[in-house]
Amino acid sequence: MTADTAAPPAAPTPTGRSRADRILEAVLTQRIVLLAILIVVVVGWLMYLSANGYLSADYDFDYMSAVLIDAVPLALLAFAELVVIVSGRGGIDLSVGAMVSLIGMIFGFAYGQWGWPLPLAVLLAVVVGAVLGAVNGFLVARIGFPALIATLATYYAYKSIAMVINGQKPINSAQIQELYSLTKSVELPVIGPYIPNVPLGVFTFLIPVLVVLWLALGRGTYGRRLYAIGTNDVAARWAGVDVAATRMRAYVTSGVLSGLVAVYITAQFASARPDAGTAGNGLALPAITIAVLGGVAITGGIGRIAGVLLAALLIVWLNAGIILYFSGNTGTQFQLLALGVVLILAALLNGLTTRRFGGGD
Amino acid sequence: MSTTLDPNASPAAAPVKARGRVLPAPVTPPEIALIGVLVVLWIALAAATPAFLSAGSVIPLLVEVAPVALIGIGMTFVIITGGIDVSVAGAIMVCSVITGKLMRDNAIPLWLCLVVAVATGAVLGLFNGVLIAYGRVHAIIITFGTANLFLFIGLRIFGSTPIAGMPNTLAWFGRGVDGRTVGVPNSFAITVILTAIAWWYLRHTPGGRHFFAVGGDPVAARLAGIRVQRRILTAYVITGLLVGLASIFTLAKGTSNLDQSVGSGQELAVIAAVVIGGTSIMGGRGSVLGTLLGALLVQTVKSGVIQLGWPSQLSDLFVGVFIVVAVGTDLLRRRARREP
Amino acid sequence: MAQQPRLTLTGVVKSYGAVKAIRHADFELQPGQVHALVGENGAGKSTLIKIISGATAPDAGSVTYDGQSVTITSTVDAINLGIATVYQEPQLFGELTVAENIFMGREIVTRGRVDWAAQNDSVVKLLESLDLPAKLATATVASLSVATQQQVSIAKALAGDAKVLILDEPSAILTDAEIEVLFGVIRRLAGDGVAIIYISHRLDEVITIADQVTVMRDGATIGTYPVADMTVRRIAELMVGDALSENTEPRTAPEGDPVLELKSLARAGAFRDVSLQLRSGEILGLYGLIGSGVAEIAECIYGLTKASGGDIVVQGRPVAPKSPREAARNGIALLPANRKTEGMFSFQSIAFNVSIAHLQKLSLARAFVDRSGERSVVKDLMKRLAVRASDENQAVGTLSGGNAQKVMLARQLVERPKLLLLAEPTQGVDIGAKEEIHRIITELADNGTAVLMVTSDLQEALRMADRLLVVRAGTITAEFGPGARQADVLAAAAGDREGTASA
Repeated sequence: MTADTAAPPAAPTPTGRSRADRILEAVLTQRIVLLAILIVVVVGWLMYLSANGYLSADYDFDYMSAVLIDAVPLALLAFAELVVIVSGRGGIDLSVGAMVSLIGMIFGFAYGQWGWPLPLAVLLAVVVGAVLGAVNGFLVARIGFPALIATLATYYAYKSIAMVINGQKPINSAQIQELYSLTKSVELPVIGPYIPNVPLGVFTFLIPVLVVLWLALGRGTYGRRLYAIGTNDVAARWAGVDVAATRMRAYVTSGVLSGLVAVYITAQFASARPDAGTAGNGLALPAITIAVLGGVAITGGIGRIAGVLLAALLIVWLNAGIILYFSGNTGTQFQLLALGVVLILAALLNGLTTRRFGGGD
Repeated sequence: MSTTLDPNASPAAAPVKARGRVLPAPVTPPEIALIGVLVVLWIALAAATPAFLSAGSVIPLLVEVAPVALIGIGMTFVIITGGIDVSVAGAIMVCSVITGKLMRDNAIPLWLCLVVAVATGAVLGLFNGVLIAYGRVHAIIITFGTANLFLFIGLRIFGSTPIAGMPNTLAWFGRGVDGRTVGVPNSFAITVILTAIAWWYLRHTPGGRHFFAVGGDPVAARLAGIRVQRRILTAYVITGLLVGLASIFTLAKGTSNLDQSVGSGQELAVIAAVVIGGTSIMGGRGSVLGTLLGALLVQTVKSGVIQLGWPSQLSDLFVGVFIVVAVGTDLLRRRARREP
Repeated sequence: MAQQPRLTLTGVVKSYGAVKAIRHADFELQPGQVHALVGENGAGKSTLIKIISGATAPDAGSVTYDGQSVTITSTVDAINLGIATVYQEPQLFGELTVAENIFMGREIVTRGRVDWAAQNDSVVKLLESLDLPAKLATATVASLSVATQQQVSIAKALAGDAKVLILDEPSAILTDAEIEVLFGVIRRLAGDGVAIIYISHRLDEVITIADQVTVMRDGATIGTYPVADMTVRRIAELMVGDALSENTEPRTAPEGDPVLELKSLARAGAFRDVSLQLRSGEILGLYGLIGSGVAEIAECIYGLTKASGGDIVVQGRPVAPKSPREAARNGIALLPANRKTEGMFSFQSIAFNVSIAHLQKLSLARAFVDRSGERSVVKDLMKRLAVRASDENQAVGTLSGGNAQKVMLARQLVERPKLLLLAEPTQGVDIGAKEEIHRIITELADNGTAVLMVTSDLQEALRMADRLLVVRAGTITAEFGPGARQADVLAAAAGDREGTASA
């Protein structure tokens, strides 16, 4: 999927260089191309290992399709970080994990205890997400807090409320348990027998969000304004853009996406857990990692949906292979390593290409 | 008339003295406000639960503050230079695990524990520093990455079972009666002393002032002849050293068992302390005194919540509110100053 | 007097990739001399200065300093040699005091600690020698005005025992009074044997302060001339390469309806009692030195700041725009003065930069961008304004100053504005592009747009404006027609003082 951002990306002025040099530049600066190549390389290598018996189970298309169940929440949160980081002025959202926890609990109450119908409960989750995101947006866009600080503070606050509102206990009522069916793999109509089963969540959560965001950012007027304030928000104001409102919308979007993830994760684990998004290192770190890997510049104004999606797939499929290669806990540990190394290499690559080729995708 | 500034040249007949402060005040209004808030909180908590002021409550509080405030010194340096370090939690883990295992398996003496922990921390800090100073990548990204890396290393060394049966070698650093001098936990005392040294260094030595220059405008700093990369590298190495020492404190204040959650979440506690203490996340401005006060505040909240019988996680909510209030008042103050 | 030159550059060549920034440059600087360096944008001036100040190294050629051959490999090298550069943007540390800024990197240290008292005393002496108040030494830089910050930058450059002082467009942000002080300092430094390189687009200043002037054109130094033999006209001709076309025909402004009326407009602390009337098809110039309040008037009409009194009436309707968006809705367009900070989205394309202010118009159902519509509008504007670029997708940051400014102007022209406010429309733009921009503005006015031009370029104001209002100390003090003499206008702008010398 070639998702164009804003106006077509600016082409660097051509100079006389060797063909190899220019191909190298294209690969390094066009993040999407690089990621696609990496996915092919990694998956190919894992399939090779699988074919030769190094892995504890088969790494095949069925497996790759099944693990997409984990790609959905990661990708959605990474999109949230994309929107917030692109908005510039040091934009970042450390509170997404805490929002997921808190909204999950509220969703759990509504659907699992108060007996709300599912669509209404989901709507509640989305609305609460918007409100929580708006708090971030208010602090950053209207008051002028650095985003790191504002979202650090709300991380603490939301995390705490999530834990306290049900006395640290998860909500596991029957309705919640039934939700699991929302996320399991299904066979597609017509072409179903020929391709692997795909988790339902891909169709009910990921693809709709992907389409909406791609349209909004790539073709929409909001997208132009977002990239404008991320590139130069003073100039944006002079050009008549409502900078504060645009930035506020970015953080609200992050909240809404967190709300969707909260519903998804509750369904996936058949339980509304107060630490759903904050256990261990939390969900914010992988989300930001995937965004940066996907080509989002931490300074703002640069970043494409397609890149982030590919980055999410790469990480998920890589992690899936690691789990099969190592046994038990060791697998999760090496996933940490992979995440850390990938982030550092991606960031160094960003730095290198900006210096050598003057910026790019 | 020569316009050169030769400090050795004899001054004109009646040298004109500069009016006004030579340096910004040693304790700034925000820090005074912070002290005020701390005092009020303590009084309120003492009134609500008299047990709060007992030795049994104050001493553990100071013991808990020590590692956070200690790392906070390093984090203050780092944030002054315009960077940040979210990998300290992972680094604490690595240093604690290595030292803990050596203590248990090889019964190494106190001084060697110290050396091992601090050296490990320094190496980790150096790794961060080199990548950030010379890799031209923003610190938050690099340290997000090294956070994972360090955690990985820590978990690998940790193995699969908790480390049990560590000897009491480190008691002097804050466990029980041996860990105190005139009633004050040694770890806290060391922290206060190091804070004072850092404060003096940042305020009165050229090297210290250069951190502010690097954070204020790295390009101008380079033009002034400051080795910008060296300063940035130093900040992360200092943090690493202090992480090593803090892991000693952490081992000391814990039990004889070490589980793999050691250090978890500490990076946020340290950053919260630094921010509440008044250091600007944008760089160029900050104070280690504020960080110490911020750490005290955060821990007071945590202790207070528990003493009052409230759910312990509620303290996080208060920390979040304090961050907003501290940074918010600073923001509004600056805005008011700029628009008279 | 036969002296050893302080600095000579011979046969310097410099390329950036395939672009030859300097084809051939020779430059000789005598001690105690004020040597101006002039040239259009792209002529090679800034590259030459970068070489002298150590920011970059030449590909070929030799540099000697006091007769010795030297290789300057870094800015620190240059500073150690005694070459100090004062840039347009003050490079100071906002959170630190003036004294600390001046001594940063060269602190006076006794027993390991910084000797604050000694540093402050030194700085006070230095400040007073520059007619600056002593208490500035302990002021935090961020609390000072931009002009004062620049004076501090100059002090900082001098503090390092500079033998060569490079001043890059120093008068851009100074008032006339401050420029006089600057010139006094320059003359005194020259008397002390300091060699000064003065870079400026303001040729009248060059005539006033410089002893020699070197003209650069198309990457080469054309020649060095004693200023006594030169006129502004002659220098300009050398810079451009052929005689300037002189537009002596005053424009007959079409008499249209009043588009803009200001009635006693005021903003506390910036300007007061500003009243004017602007008809469609008219070009009204607002001339004022920096600090006179003239830029603030434009910002107020445009909605960036709020008025504290008075009325703004656009086509008979009173308006009070609270934001640029509201102003745009009332048909007001503004070209910002500093395109880099206030106008350009440098790594976005030309199309992006032009359409960002008109997303409503270039949209489908206000939610999606009409890309084919955008493309045709942008291409059309690029042709009209003669923007030199490969296509509408080129990043604006890679364009020259003149072309970037044209893109900024294009942004204002997408929807024919009733009222166009121009703030410093040709600042940092070479003479060729300048003429083109003037032509476009005149064309706009001929087609009915009311143009309000705020400028500190007096020649531009006299050339373009049908009427010229002078703003001084926050209010309008005089009005001139097109035949006014520069000296008269300058006198009105500066108050009681005699106009400064101009060609």
